Amino acid sequence: MLETLNESLPPHDHPGLVEIVKVTKIYPPDVVALKNVSLRAEKGELIFLTGPSGAGKTTLLKLLCRQEIPTKGLIEIDGNDLNTLSDNAIQKLRQRIGVAYQDFKLLPRLSVFQNIAMPMEVQFKSLKEIRHRVTELLAKLGLSAKLNKPAGKLSRGEQQRIAIARAAANSPLLLLADEPTGNLDAGTTGLVMDLFRELNDNGSTIIIATHDESIYQGTNHRKFELQQGELF
Amino acid sequence: MRFFLFIFTQTLRNICHSWGVQLMTLLTVTLSVLIFSFFYLIYTNMLQAGEKIGEELRLTVYLDAQLSPAGQEEFIKKVNSFGKVEKIIFITPEQAFQRLTKQLGSDSDVLADLSPAFLPYSAEIYPHKDLRNLSRIKEFSDYLTNLPGTQKVQYGQAWVERFGHFIKLLRFIVIISGTLLILTTMFMVSYTLRLTLYARQDELKVLRYLGATNSYIKGPVLIEGFALGLFGSGLGLAALFFLFQWIKHHFSSAGFLGLFELRFLPMSDSAIILLGSIMLCTLGSLLSIRRLLKK
Repeated sequence: MLETLNESLPPHDHPGLVEIVKVTKIYPPDVVALKNVSLRAEKGELIFLTGPSGAGKTTLLKLLCRQEIPTKGLIEIDGNDLNTLSDNAIQKLRQRIGVAYQDFKLLPRLSVFQNIAMPMEVQFKSLKEIRHRVTELLAKLGLSAKLNKPAGKLSRGEQQRIAIARAAANSPLLLLADEPTGNLDAGTTGLVMDLFRELNDNGSTIIIATHDESIYQGTNHRKFELQQGELF
Repeated sequence: MRFFLFIFTQTLRNICHSWGVQLMTLLTVTLSVLIFSFFYLIYTNMLQAGEKIGEELRLTVYLDAQLSPAGQEEFIKKVNSFGKVEKIIFITPEQAFQRLTKQLGSDSDVLADLSPAFLPYSAEIYPHKDLRNLSRIKEFSDYLTNLPGTQKVQYGQAWVERFGHFIKLLRFIVIISGTLLILTTMFMVSYTLRLTLYARQDELKVLRYLGATNSYIKGPVLIEGFALGLFGSGLGLAALFFLFQWIKHHFSSAGFLGLFELRFLPMSDSAIILLGSIMLCTLGSLLSIRRLLKK
């Protein structure tokens, strides 16, 4: 099956950072979330995934970070087939992927610092390095004053920016952002997009799932639209 | 180095967040170790008392008549053919009478009109260490009873038997309390840590999404188990030591306890209890995290 899938890959000299080939995801009993989706993202590319709610954007991002497993099809990240990776290899790969979840997935009783530091702690980075990076990210997102506040005490918009800071903490190879500006005003949306552009300029591949037209209009980045599980 | 630093930081964070439950588990481990080691301490001291009493154990063989030197030789040979003895002393009625007078002290006048002849000839046999256990002494006594010329054999059977049964009972209690220690420690630690892990399920899920490896998640839990074992058994042994000192101070010269010197557990036994508890608690924590990671 893999051979058939590989044959259907578009002809390229080198593999893209993300290869999604004919991926279908069906939730039991028969809810088709994605249907034969194929997508290729190059290293250092910024891609927008658009479409209405329920179109399958979140599902696609969940498949890319192996939070879900596809029913059919092949997903490769940096040459690693997600279907065949061992548990440990998946964890190592996740360390190189930053995800800003739509529901944030912050730990409310931990401080802002502790939440953002988590992915760096997982990689055993030095405390000095962690402190420097967290301070830098909070300054860029206009949240310096919230460093020691419990994440649960912040507003939705602030929590969203903390989730983005956490995803960006390790300057990941691949950054997946699910509706990253859903709770933000125009000013803070600008700060978030500046951070994404900076990461992208430094080599991170970024996939942003959004239905906020303001963030992709007028840009020359590729844009894909998902409608009822199909990619256009 | 950084790995250990993070694991320790994470462990401290976990302990701080569930200190109430952790404290209860620590106290349970302490109590289990205290109960077990208390009985074990009594057992080792009783064994020591048994040995001391055994050193003074002798069998008195009352004879039909005085043995000639050749008869004594023959008697010694027959006794030695059963097992090794330390020494055999032949006692004449006169010697026995003198001893009895001495033992009676101020009441010795009750013997004033009596002739030593009412006392039988006897032989005192001091058995070797190998013969000083309950079943061997019984066999030895039966053997001596059946020797020609023997009237009766005495060695304080009832007392020795009672002491032997007491030691058996203590051994049983030590085994039971040891088993309880193992079960309590394993289950308490395993269930407590599992409860705290369930309470931290969201955090573990997020850690998994952020790429935390199994060793990153397991490490702090194992250290928690290790620390519970170390501090729990350490506190238990310390409590036992203070209890021992108190008993020694208040009761060491009283009655039965005055017969021998009370001793605390040897260092090697304390170390085994400490290491055993650490091992059990670490194993308990490993079981809890393994089940959760399998989910």
